[in-house]
Amino acid sequence: MRKFVEKIVPLFSWMCGIVLLVAIAGVLGYLFLKGYRSLGLKLIFGTTPPLDAFLMRRPVFNGLFPAIVGTFSLVFLAICWAIPVGMAAGIYLAEYAQGKTKQILDLFFDVMAGLPSVVVGLFGFSVTVFLNRNLSGRIYPCLFISSIALAFLVLPYIIRTTQIALEGLPGSLRMTALALGASRLQNIVRVLLPQSLSGIISGVILAIGRCAEDTAVIMLTGVVASAGVPRSLLSPYEALPFYIYYISSQYVDQEELATGYGAAIILLFICLVLFGLAFLIKKRVNLYSLYRA
Amino acid sequence: MIRINEKTIEKFFFLSAFFSALVTCSIFAFLFVLGLPLFSGGRFFSIITQPWAPHLGHFGIYPMIAGTLAVSLLTMVVAFPLSLGCAILISVVDRGKMSWLLRKTVEMMTGVPTVIYGFVGIFLLVPLVREIFEAGSGMCVLSAVLMLTLLVSPTMILFFCDSFERVPRSYGDAVLAVGGTEIQKFLYVTLPHSWTGIVIGFTLSLGRALGDTLVALMIAGNAVQVPGSLFDSARTLTSHIALVFAADYNSMEFKAIFACGIFLYLFTTILVCAVRLVGGRRKMAG
Amino acid sequence: MKTKLSVVICIAAMALSLCAAAFAGDLDAFKSEKGEIKIAGGTAHIPVMKEAAARIMGLNPHIQISIAGGGSGVGIKQVGEGLVDIGNSGRKAKDEEVSKYGLKMFKWAIDGVGIVVNPANSVRSLTQEQLMAVFAGKISNWKELGGEDRGINLYTRDESSGTRAVFWKKALSKGDIASSANFVVSNGAMKGAISQDPYGIGYVSVGHIDESVAPVAFNGVAPSLENVKDGKYTISRGLYSNTKGEPAGLVKKFIDYLFTDEGQELVARKGFVPVK
Repeated sequence: MRKFVEKIVPLFSWMCGIVLLVAIAGVLGYLFLKGYRSLGLKLIFGTTPPLDAFLMRRPVFNGLFPAIVGTFSLVFLAICWAIPVGMAAGIYLAEYAQGKTKQILDLFFDVMAGLPSVVVGLFGFSVTVFLNRNLSGRIYPCLFISSIALAFLVLPYIIRTTQIALEGLPGSLRMTALALGASRLQNIVRVLLPQSLSGIISGVILAIGRCAEDTAVIMLTGVVASAGVPRSLLSPYEALPFYIYYISSQYVDQEELATGYGAAIILLFICLVLFGLAFLIKKRVNLYSLYRA
Repeated sequence: MIRINEKTIEKFFFLSAFFSALVTCSIFAFLFVLGLPLFSGGRFFSIITQPWAPHLGHFGIYPMIAGTLAVSLLTMVVAFPLSLGCAILISVVDRGKMSWLLRKTVEMMTGVPTVIYGFVGIFLLVPLVREIFEAGSGMCVLSAVLMLTLLVSPTMILFFCDSFERVPRSYGDAVLAVGGTEIQKFLYVTLPHSWTGIVIGFTLSLGRALGDTLVALMIAGNAVQVPGSLFDSARTLTSHIALVFAADYNSMEFKAIFACGIFLYLFTTILVCAVRLVGGRRKMAG
Repeated sequence: MKTKLSVVICIAAMALSLCAAAFAGDLDAFKSEKGEIKIAGGTAHIPVMKEAAARIMGLNPHIQISIAGGGSGVGIKQVGEGLVDIGNSGRKAKDEEVSKYGLKMFKWAIDGVGIVVNPANSVRSLTQEQLMAVFAGKISNWKELGGEDRGINLYTRDESSGTRAVFWKKALSKGDIASSANFVVSNGAMKGAISQDPYGIGYVSVGHIDESVAPVAFNGVAPSLENVKDGKYTISRGLYSNTKGEPAGLVKKFIDYLFTDEGQELVARKGFVPVK
């Protein structure tokens, strides 16, 4: 029996490895084969001259430009909200919190990290409805609401990576500046943060990737099928992942479906570059930050 | 002057942490308050046992709970052995080119957007499942399970590899010293010592399979029924939220999705607590 | 140098005025406007809405029009709650909805709800009785209807769909829809799903029927534009755009545009029956 297990385990592991490689090669290969023909300026700008699109002189109708701009503004906003709060909370957790407080906060952030994104989206949506009814009828699902909800989604990752990067620093480093008379805050800002920068940055990049690919949150909080380039924080917008989802079921003709494949390749490219960067900056990316619900 | 500044900044640190924790609570509070009408007056029981048939006045989410459990548990049935096998290949069986290739591929896979799996699922996997098994439309539990497997496996594999590598070298060297093979060392020393890591990896991946929206929404078919076979169409709690969230805010339909939200919140919270019980945060934070 | 620049400007101006000329006429009303219109709801309306929006935004980039789906129920609800400016519906708003929100309905097209199958399927005609049995799950194999020996895959829409409401009332006489039916989120998605599944059956706005799906005659009458127009095809309905109270400003101009010659021509071109 033991001999048999010892024989079968390597065989089994080779099988698993090959199955996984074949499966993912199949998925990505299929996507690429079907989609590479649609890649090009026309995919992004349609029939509008690119310069006109950038200067917003003329809207783009049959291209991905509005969706790409939507995704970039969304990610930018969400990260802007999430970074200060997330890093501050991470610093607090690593350097100030102690005992019970720390345990309880820890638990909260674990729970938050585990929440399915559709639940966060539902929260964003119901807060919007609540505000619309009780505060002002001018509040609708929009870019602003989506970015806040997305910030909530990635907040725990940023908190965690900051905390772990700080806690991973050797004790001697922690003591040196203090011994030389630096205050606690000076020590954090001047010594500890710079030392743990690579960990924090890789966490932030992963969070950016999360924002760019998430569909469930934005679906509930303001993304629409057609809106043009967003003019303000309070307008509905388009986004790449939602566009892919939308096209997958509602394409009108083969040409439109081809733009769906093109959009999928572009999104895949953006996300892979981001993840590659994160892995490059920090060789061993903290596994916990890869976990997403 | 500097002192005051410092105090303010430190206060900001604290407030940020407090605010973030508050968000976690308020998400639950919102779901609970909005879903409250469903839980009062003995309706709770009917919510989890009734079928979903709004025109008949039934707003039960029982089929969706069943759908979620079926899809996520079956995903783990496929993904767990697959991930374990891959992890063994990477860190034990092969230490050469294949190990490198597989590890790099797996790391890359963690970056593939969910919606891509759904998209390729519709156009590649669904027709395949329909024609190979000649049962149903191909929009079914099986399709969703296969795509979700690709989604959750990479993280699980990296977790497993990590926990194998954490077992101190000296433990295994003893086996090698008495003439044992690498496989023997792995089976009798490394594996028993890394079970906490394996349990944590499994649990977190289960949480992810439970919480994923797009794959099931796009390729599981969304029929409101308890799936009876792999080829039946099913609707998960997450897809249900995505499908009916825009309903009339005063209607029972709209309130019922908060019940879905609460269930998802509870499921994932239980899993997180289980992880903490098993390993404590230290181990999984790594 | 200066002359070169002015030549470029001249050409650009000419190009622009040419574009403008191509869209002139009924769109003139939008020239001096500025602002935003939010549209949501009925998914049968989307092709017309998108094209109208493209024309208006192409003429005047200061106007932004966003279009979301969701279904008729969502359209009525969201316009009533003030979340959008125009809520589309593929059914008449119910009396209590009209009185509760003070809705104004504008019916700008007539549409049918057609039964569709995959073009590879040989079944092209069903009686109401057969259709009801199919959707109730009592007939579950195409063989029983003269097709291949394969199971029937049902596709349906969710409760907020006006298309579903009309189909359920007029084609199924409010009969059961089996719980094994797959759900899709819009008319476009229904068409996509049926064109992908050789053994599927579903129902879709007649305006959306094209060569990717095959229409099925209902009680011997094909769901064509002509049959809808002269009333022979009975599963028909109006397409409405609803506003909360009397529309004003840009929203009014948008709705008025749908009723102009150009708007109605657009309606016809997208496969619906114009009301004028």
